Amino acid sequence: MHSLVAESLVLCSTTNFDTSRLDAQKLRVRNLEYKTVRLAASPELLTECEREGLSWPRRAARLVRRMCEAEKPYIHEDERIVFTRTTPSVPPIYSPEQWKERTDGCTLHELGPISNICANWGNVLSQGLLERRRVALETRQRLTGDSEAIEFLDCAIETIDAVLDLAARYANEALRMGKSEVAEILERVPALPPRTFHEALQSLRLMHAVVWMGGHYHVGLGRIDQYLWPYLKEDLENHLLDIAGAEELLAEFFISLNKDSDLYPGVQQGDNGQTVMLGGQTQDGRDAVNELTHMAIRVALYTNMIDPKVNLRITENTELSLLTLATELTRRGLGFPQYSNDAVVIPALVANGYDPADAWNYTVAACWEFIIPGKGMEVVNIGAVSMPLAADQAIRAGLSAHETFESILKRTTENIGEQVRDLVKSYSRLLLPPAPYYSVLMDGCLEAGRDLSFGLKYNNYGIHGAASSSAADALAAVRSLVFIEKSVEPEELLHAMAANFEGYEALQDRLLHEAPKTGNDPEADELLVTLFDALADACDAVQDNGRGGRVRPGTGSAMYYVWLTRGKPGDCDDAPIGATADGRKKGEFFSANLAPSPQAQVRGPISVLQAFSRLNYRRICNGGPITMELSDSVFADPEGLEKCAMLVHIFAKLGCQQLQLNTVSLSTLLDAREHPERHRNLIVRVWGWSGYFCELGPEYQEHIIARHLYGD
Amino acid sequence: MQSGTIFDIREFTVHDGPGIRTTVFLKGCPLRCSWCQNPEGMSPAPEIMESRSGKRIVGKLYTSEQLSSILNRQASILSDNGGGVTFSGGEPLAQAAFLAEVMDSLGNLHVLLDTSGYAPESDFRRVVQRCDLVYFDLKLMDRKAHIRHTGVDNSPILRNLSVLASMDIPFVIRVPLIPGVTDTDENLAAIAKGVNRLSGLIRVDLLPYNRAAGGKYSALRKQFCPTYDERRPVHVDLDVFETAGVKVRVAGTVQK
Repeated sequence: MHSLVAESLVLCSTTNFDTSRLDAQKLRVRNLEYKTVRLAASPELLTECEREGLSWPRRAARLVRRMCEAEKPYIHEDERIVFTRTTPSVPPIYSPEQWKERTDGCTLHELGPISNICANWGNVLSQGLLERRRVALETRQRLTGDSEAIEFLDCAIETIDAVLDLAARYANEALRMGKSEVAEILERVPALPPRTFHEALQSLRLMHAVVWMGGHYHVGLGRIDQYLWPYLKEDLENHLLDIAGAEELLAEFFISLNKDSDLYPGVQQGDNGQTVMLGGQTQDGRDAVNELTHMAIRVALYTNMIDPKVNLRITENTELSLLTLATELTRRGLGFPQYSNDAVVIPALVANGYDPADAWNYTVAACWEFIIPGKGMEVVNIGAVSMPLAADQAIRAGLSAHETFESILKRTTENIGEQVRDLVKSYSRLLLPPAPYYSVLMDGCLEAGRDLSFGLKYNNYGIHGAASSSAADALAAVRSLVFIEKSVEPEELLHAMAANFEGYEALQDRLLHEAPKTGNDPEADELLVTLFDALADACDAVQDNGRGGRVRPGTGSAMYYVWLTRGKPGDCDDAPIGATADGRKKGEFFSANLAPSPQAQVRGPISVLQAFSRLNYRRICNGGPITMELSDSVFADPEGLEKCAMLVHIFAKLGCQQLQLNTVSLSTLLDAREHPERHRNLIVRVWGWSGYFCELGPEYQEHIIARHLYGD
Repeated sequence: MQSGTIFDIREFTVHDGPGIRTTVFLKGCPLRCSWCQNPEGMSPAPEIMESRSGKRIVGKLYTSEQLSSILNRQASILSDNGGGVTFSGGEPLAQAAFLAEVMDSLGNLHVLLDTSGYAPESDFRRVVQRCDLVYFDLKLMDRKAHIRHTGVDNSPILRNLSVLASMDIPFVIRVPLIPGVTDTDENLAAIAKGVNRLSGLIRVDLLPYNRAAGGKYSALRKQFCPTYDERRPVHVDLDVFETAGVKVRVAGTVQK
């Protein structure tokens, strides 16, 4: 019965509930009203930790407990899914001196705490925290002689009790306010398994928020349309809920993820890794798309907020109607959904040692790296190989020594290998802090009596090959002009690069416009393939990363394309590269993720997809999307929307791995006006024509900016 | 083998015909429409465009084999998605021999010609018979006004329009709505009357003028001299076509 109702809604992109209640919630988030309920300070822990002489695991558990205790229950009268963070920060558990001593000689990953993994939310929901507590106690009895295990399990139990106590205090507050529905739900979850979709969302909200309170970050939510679906399905079948009611609850949950996100650390505001993964396949290989998949996209269209960040698993068989619905979301300019192609990702994970059943169940970390919920303590971004540096050093050395192009390529490969070895070496003394509460949410930690920081089923590292197209273009220019055409002398190119092309403008022009470019010319595309094969070889050569895992090569860039150009803030070792053989001047940006270099003017998305489809993704399984910016005029009519969905289908059919489609945003245009050198490839379309934004006269740029300002 | 000058090849041109398409812009045009938005398409020779983002040469010589090999690399993708190749410009018919040779190397790929219709009849027939669909621009029905605003006589265009109607090739009439020039009641009525009985006509597309038309002139060191008042609102009249029994739509409208 319900599926008939839902089917008729599938093609519709608008939600069905009365939005007035949630419109008010959205407004409160946008106006930062939730900040006003925050406490003046977070609890102080150092004194008691010192007085009691607590170990590191016990301090980590105490942190979660004190944070939960410090939370002052806050419920707005219109809320049906509650929890608003009131503690304004996560306090330290060691003094700076102690911390330095404790971590001396070790490498911490980024900020230190465990981050960028995904819990097995489905499992924790269906068990409930009391069952997790029972498991911990059972293991404790079994491992009585193992003091380390006992300590870990006591810590885990302390955090479970803290969460249950917090839920009880929220239930009391709800009762006090006369909100019996909320009180009743919190009297049950997260202690016990949810009976309804509403209870499941409330349970998830609370358990997820507490992870952040323990100092963890980039806390993903995984495959919500899979693990929440049984609850929704049962509600629909029992007529406890209709589609509109379910949408409203899901929307409230999505909004709640935005209430506290200013407290979450990341490289930039909004970079908080609250990802969800939709669609894909079930563990037995069937299509996993269900009504909740569609509903989640509709709800994201309604909320129109940066969290959660939507990912969609597809194949070439995914219905065009689902892709069209997802394209509606792209049109909003939030930069998601991000697509990944199951037909490419799953075989690559299996080829890299993942059990097929786990590979089927993949999600993404904060950005794009493929991880397995509950089973991975992977550090998917220990760093990036600077592809342009590897190529540039090889080109300079090779040309100076009058070597062949093959020697230059060989040098490039060796340089990539050396960078990989250096990165892995720098992580040989990686220190992962204990994480008792996060361990509760993972597979096997309570069962084995071991904190997740000791490792889970998968313990791989990831290294990305950053700014790859720029490197391939530099090599392609050298091969084409110096070695094939022989129209440029090696010395001339070296001098021109040394002079940052000043006085060599004609040569720079040829390098920029005549040499092959990744995304346009197979001669450059094939060098990109060579670069990533070299990266894969170098990663494969690492038998053990020191944690019983391997090293996965990837195609992402994160901020590296900026850092490689400008130097990483606060890190003087990353010396910027000078002018490069692709005609790029010193200080100009490199390509990001998988995209043509910003200096190249390419024909468009089809050639770009074809170029990146040539990579041997079976070997490159860490992720990293093809990144494309589309003009908002593409979405001017329903036909354009459908064509955009067809483009996503082409991505899947060509066997590409991951795709991020962006709509050209106002901020891009403003940046392009100020820094045209960064945006040579930015295309805007007006009326019947397309033009490069940076080539338009200033008054016309203003016009287009105004259109973007007022067009939506 | 023929060679031709191209000023751009652009993929995923969602407004240039059915399905997923790639548009080839041929350089050189006999018309000088004062509202032209592709001034780099006017001169047949390569030229320099210079702006704050740097300097580049627009216009590159391709042999028909070079061009068709680029297009054929993606032919199956375009065909599988209901699309093909659109030839635009400039005026593609100004390089008719080259164009015909390219089209002959594209197998069964769907080919769309976007033309002003201004060409010798033999060139027009030669290219159009190789097309699956034609976008035919009609600007002004009055001869004198046509000369004034586009620099050329419209009789070859009207002659080719009747040739087109006799060729059994489906086509769309495209009318740029230029304020006070082409969007007048008289002109639109004359166009509606002129096309309503033509065999093969699918519909009329009206393209309202956009004030960004002059955007590229400064990069070419050219002067943009509109023969009309840019600020005047565009007069969009669908009724005159509908009354004449002609299917009509406004292209490029942004859905809110």
